[in-house]
Amino acid sequence: MSDKKRVSRRQFLNYTLTGVGGFMAAGMLAPMVRFAIDPVLKSKEGGDLKSVASVDEITKEPQRFEWTIDQVDGWYESEVQKTAWVYKDDNDEIVALSPICTHLGCTVDWGSNDEYPNEFYCPCHGGRYTKDGDNVPGTPPTAPLPVFEHETKEGMLYLGEAKDRGGA
Amino acid sequence: MKWTKADTTQYLPEKQYVDTLMIPLIPFDPAGDQQMVGQAFQRELNQVFMNFIEKEYKGRVFLSPDYTYLKGKHEHEKDRLNEWIQRFREQPFEHVFLFTFDSRWKKYEADVDGHLIWVPGMSSGSIKSTETQAFVKEQARGISELIQAYW
Repeated sequence: MSDKKRVSRRQFLNYTLTGVGGFMAAGMLAPMVRFAIDPVLKSKEGGDLKSVASVDEITKEPQRFEWTIDQVDGWYESEVQKTAWVYKDDNDEIVALSPICTHLGCTVDWGSNDEYPNEFYCPCHGGRYTKDGDNVPGTPPTAPLPVFEHETKEGMLYLGEAKDRGGA
Repeated sequence: MKWTKADTTQYLPEKQYVDTLMIPLIPFDPAGDQQMVGQAFQRELNQVFMNFIEKEYKGRVFLSPDYTYLKGKHEHEKDRLNEWIQRFREQPFEHVFLFTFDSRWKKYEADVDGHLIWVPGMSSGSIKSTETQAFVKEQARGISELIQAYW
């Protein structure tokens, strides 16, 4: 046994202590790291997309599509019907707007008023929105219509949750 | 708007925009075995109708709690109903609609302080069947138009 290969008592203790210390530190840090990134890993509740319509059905003219989702509301679960106005804009991008008026929650209609044929019209208080969902100034609504998250997969349109676009 | 905490909270500051009241009139007679099923069905159907219209016009129509009464006492009920309407009008509600499947109200139409909407209901069927859904949608659209005509 040569002197070079020999591990001194001091070195041996150093190695073992670093090793054991490393294990302990890892044991403490691992759960902490898991806690820190937990919000990222968590699967989002109710955020899954639902198949609504075939992409071929969607035209330049907004059309009304309906689908149902299961909604858990406090302690009671119910099936809720959702509606969206869906069309393709000039760049062939699909746009899905929520039909709920941002004023007081009535359901808006596309082109239902003869005076404003190319606008979304709210029958309750005459609120108007342009085709891209922006509220027309001077009418009761103060925010644009919310937009649904969407995704197309295998020729089908999937819609998720409606996102508010803030108000002016 | 419905008679719930969330909706009434929203209603109070926005009163000026909500000028229409809907009261569902629901007859029942818990003593009779024969009519019980039919009456329960009519009540469910009435609720489906009301929810449909309330959803469409949430920002302008207020849905009152059900006006439930024992069947066949309209003479006496019309005063109680008018009292309800009068109380609601103090809010104020300009347009009051009464919705029912009970044809006997037709006779007292002139005595009640609101627009009576009587729809011949369905006596049999299932609330979930596509037939019923088509019926409700069709009729509800007609009723929506009627309400809009008063605005």
